[in-house]
Amino acid sequence: MANRDFLGEFEHIVLLAVLRLPDQAYGVTVRREIEARTKREVSIGAIYATLDRLEAKGYVQSRAGDPTPERGGRSKRFFRVTSQGVSAVNRTHRALRSLTEGLNLLGSRP
Amino acid sequence: MMQASPCRHPPRLATWLVDLFASAEQAESILGDLAEEFSDIASTSGVLSARRWYWRESAKTIPPLFGASFRSAPWSLGSIVLAGFPLQWLGATLPERVIMAILRAQRPYSNLRYELYLWLINYDIPIACLVKSVLIGCLVAVLGEGREVVATLMFTVVWTAPFVTLVVLAYAHNADREPPFASVFHFFVFR
Repeated sequence: MANRDFLGEFEHIVLLAVLRLPDQAYGVTVRREIEARTKREVSIGAIYATLDRLEAKGYVQSRAGDPTPERGGRSKRFFRVTSQGVSAVNRTHRALRSLTEGLNLLGSRP
Repeated sequence: MMQASPCRHPPRLATWLVDLFASAEQAESILGDLAEEFSDIASTSGVLSARRWYWRESAKTIPPLFGASFRSAPWSLGSIVLAGFPLQWLGATLPERVIMAILRAQRPYSNLRYELYLWLINYDIPIACLVKSVLIGCLVAVLGEGREVVATLMFTVVWTAPFVTLVVLAYAHNADREPPFASVFHFFVFR
């Protein structure tokens, strides 16, 4: 069923943020990327809950980095989007494009 | 005289609370991320504002972790919570029966310990009920292996919600008249 699924709004945002951060996508950077580009405040918990769900669906993969002192000796968890994840993003974009085609959304209503 | 500088470590209580709701793998990465951002904010805006940020962020982090934990195994968690109900129900009069049996066997009132007897009469059954509920909560936690906090919290909320609702209804209705559903409340609590 997973390959027919469309992404939820936040899943979509998180996947795009991970795609924008090749080899550097972990909780802090993903959060900063989302906040910088969408001006939307998100919690670390929401990001990890979404990334875990996406990992269960096979859309992202994670690996542990090295522990660092400023993290209290804890390691980072880096994420990368899988080919299934890229397909899911494309599928969702196609569906959205198809739904918005022909609509005059810019400045049509006050 | 030197002023004591605020602690440069993230608040331990907030860290502990996040750790409670996160799985081992999540805790490692989430607490690491929070510590990294705490360290950044502490160096730019000061430790106090970093501590405030850490508390706020921890509070915002717990609900999604709770939701994710439930969504990862809704059926098993639901079954565990439901399994707690018959246990609570079957054990409703157990503490009272045990205590009365002990009192009958020991007869503290006949042995110059009348004050102790009075104290027991007043407080032992509520205390025993509390102990019984804690034990059932522990059992629910053991059954919810890996999701102990989520299982016990859900059980507590589901178990107490009808009583809290009835108390609110009783206040809202009328102090002199019996509130609606009072008979249901009496059935479950004093049966």
